[in-house]
Amino acid sequence: GPPHPRQLREAEEAAPVFQYAGKAAKRKDRVFVWGFSYSGALGVPSFVRPDAGWKKPRRIQTTPYRLETEEKISSAACGYGFTLLASNTRDITKVWGMGLNKDSQLGFQRSRRDQTKGYEYVLEPSPIPLPLEKPQQTRVLQVSCGRAHSLVLTDSEGVFTMGNNSYGQCGRKIVEDEIYSGSHLIHQLKEFDSEVVQVVCGQDHSLFRTKKGSVYACGWGADGQTGLGHYNITSVPTKLHGDIAGVNIIQVSSYGDCCLAVSDEGDVFGWGNSEYLQLASVTETTQVNVPRHLPFKIGKVKEAACGGTGNVVLTEEGNVFVWGYGILGKGPNLIETAVPEMIPPSLFGWSDFSPDIRVAHVRCGLSQFAALTNRGELFVWGKNLRGCLGTGRMEDQYFPWRVTVPGEVLDVACGVDHMVSMVRSF
Amino acid sequence: LNAAPGRAPRQRVRFLPAPAPGGGGAVELVATRVPVLADHPLVRGPRFKKLKMGAGHRLDVKASGVFVLGIGHGNKLLTDLYNCHLTKVYIVGGLFGKATDDFSDTGNLVEKTTFDHITREKLERILAVIQGTNQKALLMYSNIDMKTQEAYELAVKGLIRPMGKSPPIITAVRCLQFALPEFQLEIHCLHETQQYLRKMVHEIGLELKSSAVCTRVRRIRDGIFTVDDALPRTQWNLQSIQEAIRNCQLKVETELEKTL
Repeated sequence: GPPHPRQLREAEEAAPVFQYAGKAAKRKDRVFVWGFSYSGALGVPSFVRPDAGWKKPRRIQTTPYRLETEEKISSAACGYGFTLLASNTRDITKVWGMGLNKDSQLGFQRSRRDQTKGYEYVLEPSPIPLPLEKPQQTRVLQVSCGRAHSLVLTDSEGVFTMGNNSYGQCGRKIVEDEIYSGSHLIHQLKEFDSEVVQVVCGQDHSLFRTKKGSVYACGWGADGQTGLGHYNITSVPTKLHGDIAGVNIIQVSSYGDCCLAVSDEGDVFGWGNSEYLQLASVTETTQVNVPRHLPFKIGKVKEAACGGTGNVVLTEEGNVFVWGYGILGKGPNLIETAVPEMIPPSLFGWSDFSPDIRVAHVRCGLSQFAALTNRGELFVWGKNLRGCLGTGRMEDQYFPWRVTVPGEVLDVACGVDHMVSMVRSF
Repeated sequence: LNAAPGRAPRQRVRFLPAPAPGGGGAVELVATRVPVLADHPLVRGPRFKKLKMGAGHRLDVKASGVFVLGIGHGNKLLTDLYNCHLTKVYIVGGLFGKATDDFSDTGNLVEKTTFDHITREKLERILAVIQGTNQKALLMYSNIDMKTQEAYELAVKGLIRPMGKSPPIITAVRCLQFALPEFQLEIHCLHETQQYLRKMVHEIGLELKSSAVCTRVRRIRDGIFTVDDALPRTQWNLQSIQEAIRNCQLKVETELEKTL
């Protein structure tokens, strides 16, 4: 007959208890990648060269895909078809690179077939040998990638630059007819007024922000993106003046040919290309070669991010403002604006039910935007070039859309056609 | 209902013979109002022999809470309310440490696990993920073209809702109480069944690397009807029912006008 309730209860109490996670279970840090894979920028070789007969090459990875890394990655940067991952470890290998390497933007990657030549495409995260004086003590703080060059910031040995230098973007003297492919040259930059705390790569120029709050630039200047008062090439990092002279700058951003800087008082300064109304609030000229203060009345600005044609800023209150040209995030009707427009917080998950959701960080790719909330959710919008938004669809996204990532997103790096995110598991 | 005073019988004008004032056998026709015999209660019988009652959204045996019923002509309103696709709110109670075959605490035990590593923070993180994925489902099943300005406006206001058939979607979750091993959630959902909510509790347990069973499911709101409008068992009499219908009439009308 049916079991007596007391028997059931006794059986239940006698059942073994399984433990799947202890009290001290740690959350693991992981890297997720998505976007165009044929350049190798995603770091998954089986997408480009399938290693099993049944696998097919995957040109576009439309949803976040986990990338196994040897070490915990603390900083990542996406360039134009390549990626750099850095860990702040004291071990010898601190930076890995993958993707395009035609200009040695990933350093010299010795080919296994021919020991004298280097790889032009690196399909999986490969160590980049940095010429450090104290490799077991120095830590890498941050990396940044541009169109064909990259910058690596260390805590005690300055900035290392590698890649294309035809416009002086690596901060060293331009050598005529230099062949960048298969080059071993990694240049070290130490001459700044104080320690460099942030490095940013634009398309063909580099920006350095120091501890004292000043900004240095070098590289291509035809759009005024070096901000040095002329439209020529600069091959040595030179300090910027203009409206930011004497101002303590706490953040710089650039990805295309326009640059933005945020001061400690919450003001925004811009210079560079203004063909897409990025700086139209202060001038009608399409190129600005000296930093100009942008008189926006949107509150104290905490963070700014520059894209190819559009810009985004985050204020202290947690509001997101966009301006420029392209898909700005307020529906298909807003294509261009010279004055910042706010994106309603309800699109980031804010509601009467969850009123303490705030946007914590904003990032920009070439034609897409990303926002991270304080709950660790990632929202993307913009042009979905080769699946770089990670939404699982190939259509452009006209307003912020959640990306499903299995974990809390800590940081995201946006490129032209791919993105990399650092996620902590639940 | 039948005991209540009924409609007054219809009156009819008939020309009835009445003795003439003159006297002496002459008969005169006088117009008088007389009640129609067909309306007499003994002829007609009791006014109500049966009442048509319809039920709103289902509530299964193990759950409790607000249950909407329609009486007579109100049944037509039930279909209209269904087509409004309004959210329902449940209070769901859960217990960590056990897993059963039917996800509730009265089922057969499948497994016991430890739960001392679970904190309120971890639970809220999982709830945030659930809300996030369901938010996407909400936008996807509402059949709106994402590329239009209209879609953007609706998304800003939070008014995008699937207006047709869709799998169960959770619009909001919140943790009300957390005292290991018990916890309580408030869940706002659409097109769900109570068993789906119990399964969700089980899946939350799995995500937290433990296991959970659902101890109670109580619906506190079904569209526009809340617990305050609902009648408890002690008030299942004609007076309260009539009053309740009168109070809700206005609400129902405004909601139907707004949505349809």
